[in-house]
Amino acid sequence: MTPRVQPDRVVSTVCPYCGVGCRVDLYVKDEKIYRVMAREGPPNHGALCVKGRFGLGFLRHPDRLTTPLVRREKGGALEPASWEEALDFVAERLAQIASEHGPDALYFVSSAKASNEENYLMQKLARAAAGTHNVDHCARLCHSSSTAALSRALGSAAMSNTIEEIPLSSVIVVTGSNTVETHPVIGAMIKKATRNGTFLIVADPRRVGLAEVAHLWLRLRPGTDPVLFGAMARHLVASGRYDTGFVARYAEGFEEWWESVQDYTLEYAGQVTGVPAGKIQEAAERYAAASAAAIYWAMGITQHNHGTENVQALVNLAVLAGQLGKPGAGLNPLRGQNNVQGAGDMGALPNVYPGYQPTADAAVRRRWAEFWGAPQPENPGVTMTEAFESIGRPGGVRAVYLMGEDPITSEPYQDHVRAALEELDFLVVQDILKNETYPYADVVLPAASFAEKHGTFTNTDRRVQLIRPVFKAPGEAEPDWWILSEVGRRLSRLTGRGDPEGWEYTGPDEVWEEVRRGAPNLFGGISHARLEREGLRWPCASEDVPGVSVLFTGGFYTPSKKARLLPARWRPPAEEPSGEFPLILSTGRVLYHWHGGVLSRRSALREAYPELKVEVSPADAARYGVRDGQKVWLVSRRGRIQATAWVTDRTPEGVVFAPIHFAEQPANRLTKNAYDPTSKIPSYKQSAVRLEPA
Amino acid sequence: MSRVPVVINGVLVEAEPGETILNAARRAGVEIPTICHHERTGTKGLCRLCVVEMAGRGRPEPACATEVAAGMVVNTESEELAALRRTVLELVALETNVEHDDGLAGWLEKYGADPARWGEPLAGRRARQTIRDNAFYLREYDKCYNCRRCLDACGEGIQGVWALAFAGRGAEAGVTTVFDLTLAEAGCVFCGNCVQVCPTGALVPLEEISLAAGGLL
Repeated sequence: MTPRVQPDRVVSTVCPYCGVGCRVDLYVKDEKIYRVMAREGPPNHGALCVKGRFGLGFLRHPDRLTTPLVRREKGGALEPASWEEALDFVAERLAQIASEHGPDALYFVSSAKASNEENYLMQKLARAAAGTHNVDHCARLCHSSSTAALSRALGSAAMSNTIEEIPLSSVIVVTGSNTVETHPVIGAMIKKATRNGTFLIVADPRRVGLAEVAHLWLRLRPGTDPVLFGAMARHLVASGRYDTGFVARYAEGFEEWWESVQDYTLEYAGQVTGVPAGKIQEAAERYAAASAAAIYWAMGITQHNHGTENVQALVNLAVLAGQLGKPGAGLNPLRGQNNVQGAGDMGALPNVYPGYQPTADAAVRRRWAEFWGAPQPENPGVTMTEAFESIGRPGGVRAVYLMGEDPITSEPYQDHVRAALEELDFLVVQDILKNETYPYADVVLPAASFAEKHGTFTNTDRRVQLIRPVFKAPGEAEPDWWILSEVGRRLSRLTGRGDPEGWEYTGPDEVWEEVRRGAPNLFGGISHARLEREGLRWPCASEDVPGVSVLFTGGFYTPSKKARLLPARWRPPAEEPSGEFPLILSTGRVLYHWHGGVLSRRSALREAYPELKVEVSPADAARYGVRDGQKVWLVSRRGRIQATAWVTDRTPEGVVFAPIHFAEQPANRLTKNAYDPTSKIPSYKQSAVRLEPA
Repeated sequence: MSRVPVVINGVLVEAEPGETILNAARRAGVEIPTICHHERTGTKGLCRLCVVEMAGRGRPEPACATEVAAGMVVNTESEELAALRRTVLELVALETNVEHDDGLAGWLEKYGADPARWGEPLAGRRARQTIRDNAFYLREYDKCYNCRRCLDACGEGIQGVWALAFAGRGAEAGVTTVFDLTLAEAGCVFCGNCVQVCPTGALVPLEEISLAAGGLL
């Protein structure tokens, strides 16, 4: 009566996939992970999903990068090199391009898959050693609209409730999130709350998993979100159901907002969104009357050319209903990557330093100049999407340093991205696996995975958690923090910015101590030693407090302590379906895969979901002569891909849905490089396509 | 809320209102044996191993499914209870391949259980077929003694999917899927939360099977 396999060791760490940040025990024998068990307690409370449980095969995949590679001359081959040569080459080329074209010719892409400590070092590399605010990470492509709207309106861009509060909400609104597939553990918790009496409202064009268990499903037309939520808010005010006390005490901008929604009547919203006016009314009234109501959302809200307005419309609704600042009531952007919250917190964004200290503030810049002993640039940085658009243009970006980012699969309009990468003077790819972008690199730096290093990840509800190494990285691969500190020391010496010795770290804990000193208000009370014992949420200013769970209990984090109501108007999409391209293409994820597929398709998950299936409504299938299971072409103005048709009423008539995970069938060959003017997020959810039988 | 005074094995315990005898006993450091009970899945009341005696009640009742009440007098160990538990354990071991069970050996030893006194092991459950129908885990049902934790993890307790189902009667009763569909056809999302809570090793990751077989599978 013994287990089949006696583990050599069991390592407690954090799942590398999504922002839920599930804690896992990895069972290891003969340097192989053979069993993954959930830990009890927050954030996952004993549960996991298929990706964390069975999707870690990528760690030992033959595509792991194991030695530094250098392209010694343009047009030559990538050849193995020593770390010394590769690091010197990177620093020298970056310094050379910065001196010839200015530091803003460099661009640094950090990674929401890397640790907090590594994200901190990447933005330090840009700001202290290179002298530019040109640093960003993939949140630009996912929740930048949430960050823009929430920071502006509330002064903090994170979930305002915790996962543990899900059962405390008597009404939950989920919109633009296929939660049971993309954040499965939270999806299951919302389903369980619904079974226990929580009233669930889902607003989504697709019949996603939660729509099937919702009490009220508002199947709105894609992109009409501001009208739907604007009409709900307008109805609450017009019928006297809004929280007048909360608004008087905590809101500003009411008149201007009220003017902006005058035409958003229930009837008008019914016509625009396609949702019956009565359902919109019921949703509004149930939401406002709830003892505690929370809104959860993801990419269906943010990835529009009016993504910031979409999020603002949710903010307006929550503020008017007074559904903020109490347990179970709040605004909750479900963050995608395991450490996307942390990447933003660490200042891997062009407009903020660690702890969201604005780069536009001269006093803040002076403080960091002193902190690092390096002059701080006054030029504002540009976003990642703007940076890629600028390549090849006068004054544009000429060198890109990618850490754990694969723009060929993730940026919109793939052919355009490929052409841009060809034009770069210098490209560094620092990654754990061969991705689609790596053939374009001038230098490839092999990195250690989450299971091969120390550090911290911050999950979607602001919980900072320790990760621990399971085994040694393959070949010569090294942790990102080590690589960045080696590049930083060299670059600092070449540019003369800062003290090269400021890049000497004994390990991630020493980096974290620098983060605590740099952003004491959020992280001052969080130490690696404390995290050994417990996960801690920011804000946590001192060691004697546990960290804040519910945000905004005593007002908002804006200078006036009030929430800003702002007009949030619908705009037509950048590309309307018409003529040759009559269908709307929406893109997203499926349960079994992760983003560009670099991780999940190099694991057992590949077998469970081997190829691209495009969701086609029965009406469109009949119209375009497509049968279920048939090969089809999806064609946009920018390219075409082949897929297998899945005829299903999950997607509404006029809309086809394609997952983004398949490098050979890349949905982003079709998407349009049109952006939200505020957040610069691509409008992945609305491109015009046609369907052809193959 | 006020505490609920109960006496467990002669010791006064201040229990929480609404909690089970099992929880109150565990917090007081009293061990009661369980097989099916699982906090996370909510599984309880099936295996009858946790039965306890209560003053004024005619027969033993399961500690995992009985709430405390003020003034309750509970006894968790007696010769009669040991005999009951011994029989439960012997029948489980007689009917099931328990070689990979994570806790049963200790209980069998503690209660001096001797499955052989009932004769040869029964073929019933031991003859069940192993099912491999997906890329992630195996279902070795000869090792399953129907504790139902997997069903509760799949359905009400955690996942809300109900891909697993219970079918058959008597010795034929066991866990399957509706109409014996493959897991994928039954709507399984392969979260593996059933694997997590399975106490017997009946549900096991393919990686683990492969490693145990020296990588030959």
